[in-house]
Amino acid sequence: MIDVLSYVCIGVGIVFWFWGTLPLLGKRSVLFKLHSLSVADTLGSMSIIFGLLLKIPSEWSLLVLALISLAIWNTVLGYVLAYCSSSGDDNGR
Amino acid sequence: MNLVLIIMILALLIPIYEAWQDDDIWQKMLAFASIATKTSVMILVVSVLRDDWMIGVVGVIILSVGNAGLMLLAHIIKRMGEL
Amino acid sequence: MDDSYIYVIVALLPLAALILTVQVNPYHALVIRGILGAVSALVYAVLGAADVALTEALVGTMLAITLYAVAVRSSLVMRLGVLKDSLLEAEQKLELALNDAQVSQRSFADLVADLRTIVSQYHLRLELIPYPDPQSLHQALMAKEIHATCIQRSPQDEASIPQSNSQPYHTTTRIHRLYKILQTEPLAPMTSLDYITALDSAEKH
Repeated sequence: MIDVLSYVCIGVGIVFWFWGTLPLLGKRSVLFKLHSLSVADTLGSMSIIFGLLLKIPSEWSLLVLALISLAIWNTVLGYVLAYCSSSGDDNGR
Repeated sequence: MNLVLIIMILALLIPIYEAWQDDDIWQKMLAFASIATKTSVMILVVSVLRDDWMIGVVGVIILSVGNAGLMLLAHIIKRMGEL
Repeated sequence: MDDSYIYVIVALLPLAALILTVQVNPYHALVIRGILGAVSALVYAVLGAADVALTEALVGTMLAITLYAVAVRSSLVMRLGVLKDSLLEAEQKLELALNDAQVSQRSFADLVADLRTIVSQYHLRLELIPYPDPQSLHQALMAKEIHATCIQRSPQDEASIPQSNSQPYHTTTRIHRLYKILQTEPLAPMTSLDYITALDSAEKH
C-alpha cells in the first residue's frame, strides 16, 4: 500500500517536472518561464522526495532537510533571478 | 526504479538543449537553475535506490549549496550588464 | 541489465562538455560550465565517489565560476582615457540634447556610444577614465595605465590639417589588435585613428 503511494508521488513529481520544463523551449519572456519553472519544479521535486521518504522512512532526517532546503532555496532563487534579470534589461537600478 | 531514473534523464535533457540553443544569458541561467535542482534530486533518488547514506548526504549538500552559487553568479552577471 | 541507467548518465558528461566548447561568449561559457559541474557531480555520485562529487559541486561549480566571472569581467575591458572637460561636456550634452542649437554636430557622447557597440561585439566593456590635461593623458598611455586615448583636436591642429573638419576627434591606441578592430569599423566620420608603440619602461614588475 505504502509502496504504491510512494510510486504515485514520484510519478506525480515527474509529471510536474515535465510540465514545468517544457515551457522553457518556447519563445516566451524570462519571467513567464521563471514562474512555471520555479512553481512546477519545486513542487515536483518535493513530491519526488516525499515519495522517497515513504519508501525509506529510516533516512527521514536527511530527506526532511532536503525538503526544507528545497522549499526555501528555490523560492529565494526565484526572487533573486527575477530581480537580477528584470533590472538587467533596462540597464539601470 | 530504473525506469524512473531514465525518465528523469529525459527531463534533464530538455534544459540542456535549451541552454545550448538559446542565446540570452538569462534563459541559460534558468536552464542552469533547472539542471542544478534536477541533478541533486537525481542524486537523492540514486542514494535511496542503493540505500547509501553517504551519497544522500552529498546530494542534500549539493542541493542547498548549488543554489547559493547560482545566486552569486546571477548577481555578478547583473553587475556586468550595468556597466 | 540492472545498471543500464549508469551508461545514460555518464553519456551526459561528454554532451555537456561538447556544448561548453562551442560557446563563443565567455559569460555564456561560464553558465555552461556550471551546467557541466552539476552534471559531473551527478556522474561522480552515481559512480560512488561521494567525496569527488562534493568537491566538484563546492569548488568546481561555486568557487571557480565566481572567481572566473570576476576575472573575465575585470580583464575583458578597454580603458579609454579622455579629458575631464569633454566627459563633462558629454554628460551635459546628454541632458541638454533637445534645446541645444548645435545638436546637428555629432557630439562626444555619440562617439562613446559608437565605440561601446563596436567593442561589445568582441565582448569587451568600455571604461572611461578622465584625466585633467593632454600631457597626463599621454603619460598614462605610455605608462600602460590605459589602452587608448581620445581627445578633441585643438584649433591650431585644425588649421594645419584640412581634413580634421570632418574628424573632430583623435584616437590613439597602443595595442595593435585594438587598432585593427577600430580600423575595420565605421568610426571614420567621427575620429582619426593612430597607433603608437609604448616602450617597456624600466620599472618592470
